[in-house]
Amino acid sequence: MYISVALGFAFLFNIMGIMNFAHGAIYMVAGYICYQFGVALGLNLLVSMLLSVAIVASFGLFLERFCFRPFFGDLNRTMVVCIGIIVVLETTVNILGGTFTRAIPAFAPGLVKAGPVSLSIQRVITFIVGGVLLAATVWFMKSTRKGQQMQAVSQNLEGAVLQGINVHRSSALACVMACGMASVAGCLMGALVGLTPFMGGHMLLKALELVILGGVGSLGGIFFAGLIIGGLDASLPVFVSGAASEAVGLGIIVAVMLFRPQGLFGRDVE
Amino acid sequence: MSEAGSSTKNGGKLLKASACLGLVVVLCLLPLYISSQFLIHIFIITFIYIVATASLRTITVSGQFPLAHAAFMGIGAYTSAVVSKEFGLSPWLTIPLGGFVAMGVGIFIGFPFARLRALYYAMVSLFFGIGVLQVFFVLNVYTLAYRGLTGIPPLLHGASKVHYYYFFMGFALLCLVALYRFEFSRIGTILRAIAQSHQVASSVGISEAKYRVLVLAVGCFFVGVAGGVYAHYNRTLSYPLFDMTATLWMFMYVLIGGIGSFAGPIVGTAILMILPELFRELRAFVPYVTAAILFIVVFAMPQGLVGLPGLVRSWHRGRGKVGGIPGPL
Repeated sequence: MYISVALGFAFLFNIMGIMNFAHGAIYMVAGYICYQFGVALGLNLLVSMLLSVAIVASFGLFLERFCFRPFFGDLNRTMVVCIGIIVVLETTVNILGGTFTRAIPAFAPGLVKAGPVSLSIQRVITFIVGGVLLAATVWFMKSTRKGQQMQAVSQNLEGAVLQGINVHRSSALACVMACGMASVAGCLMGALVGLTPFMGGHMLLKALELVILGGVGSLGGIFFAGLIIGGLDASLPVFVSGAASEAVGLGIIVAVMLFRPQGLFGRDVE
Repeated sequence: MSEAGSSTKNGGKLLKASACLGLVVVLCLLPLYISSQFLIHIFIITFIYIVATASLRTITVSGQFPLAHAAFMGIGAYTSAVVSKEFGLSPWLTIPLGGFVAMGVGIFIGFPFARLRALYYAMVSLFFGIGVLQVFFVLNVYTLAYRGLTGIPPLLHGASKVHYYYFFMGFALLCLVALYRFEFSRIGTILRAIAQSHQVASSVGISEAKYRVLVLAVGCFFVGVAGGVYAHYNRTLSYPLFDMTATLWMFMYVLIGGIGSFAGPIVGTAILMILPELFRELRAFVPYVTAAILFIVVFAMPQGLVGLPGLVRSWHRGRGKVGGIPGPL
């Protein structure tokens, strides 16, 4: 579940070195757009999800051109811009939508039974979509021309430029893809846990945990980190209650990071 | 203060000193002309946050970017508030205690965290800060984190807002002078050396871990004290003051003001806290004002607000742009 949310964030961060703090807010907006089309306008849910992906992805294009490109390689100022975007998006949704929780109806209602455990189909779909997106991204990076260009850019910027790769175009594509992924995640999670204007912060935290635990520069690491964090979140509340489980989970992540300062599968960044 | 920010000439020192003095005089006279209690309250909060952000910037001098500063403020605030409430001690004793507890936690995490570098340090400290916030929830019996802690003993009995205003102005000045002396001492030079290259610094016999922990301890102490005085001034505490968003906003204050200059966090905090309050009639639209400030500064002023005079000067001379300071994050 976390994988599908964190994937876009991790993708953008690993490939372009852009730390998109606004990812959580974008994910939230995507959920609201889907809600508007699907519930307020009464369109088919899949159609409204596709519309939401399209709108948010084009917003990603705008974001890259006007907010990330001027500050390429300057994490501090990128962070300021992202916080600005978060403020604008959250306030806008807050004014237009109100603070109370809304829920997108389930894409596929019902339960599926597998032996002793029963899962809602919605959860299964979310899991499958997350896995498929991850696999598709890895395939894209490994096997397509554009993906290989992005890898080149992330490995050596000057070298990539000398080979005639249009860095800005790769970066714009990465940004559009990342926003698209955020939007898919937002729609699915909106159906699963509901929508509030301030739900982005929690997801941003989870995405950060995933990327840092997996290690910068490793897409495969995200999968394992996602399994670890998902497993921790699911199993810890059995042993300790409420907030303590969060604290213990974070403590475990911090401890792991102290033994492997560059993340589980990461490379060193200076 | 901002006029003096980027001055490098010979007369710069005198200009800076007189600008600081002028600012203090203006601030002293201000309560005589402001009748609004609310505005004075905003000024008091700003003074407290200036101490917090200035101590955050002091830590960044050593090249570390701790994103757990609001959590340390929370440690100081809750320690002081809970101890004085439960044991009936005077806030004057418990506020330093809160500072020392925050400092102790800083030292405790400082040594293992010295292994981490750059981005990983920032992120792991962010997780640590959120973990600390969850610990407040676990200790709900004492901290009442879910519904908010109330009934904290006041700092000054029967004092009006104006009394508090002068008290906190003095407090902020004292802390700023201490942090300034710290940053421009020999230790500060060592810290800057570590930030530039930890390898070269270690090769000339500087213990990197020791100094990184030292600066973390100093920064955490000041922010812990700031949290303590906040608790006893406001007399209620609630957890959103100390969560991830609060930490990021503290960092925003520093970045908007200018991370490369001592005046940066002071200017940034003052602008970002006071300016949106002047647009209070806009109600739900107030955050747009904040966002507008962020965008204007980040697009037009690469060095933050303190870089503005230099920028104006270079436009005046037609020399083109002032180069931005590349962020070490």
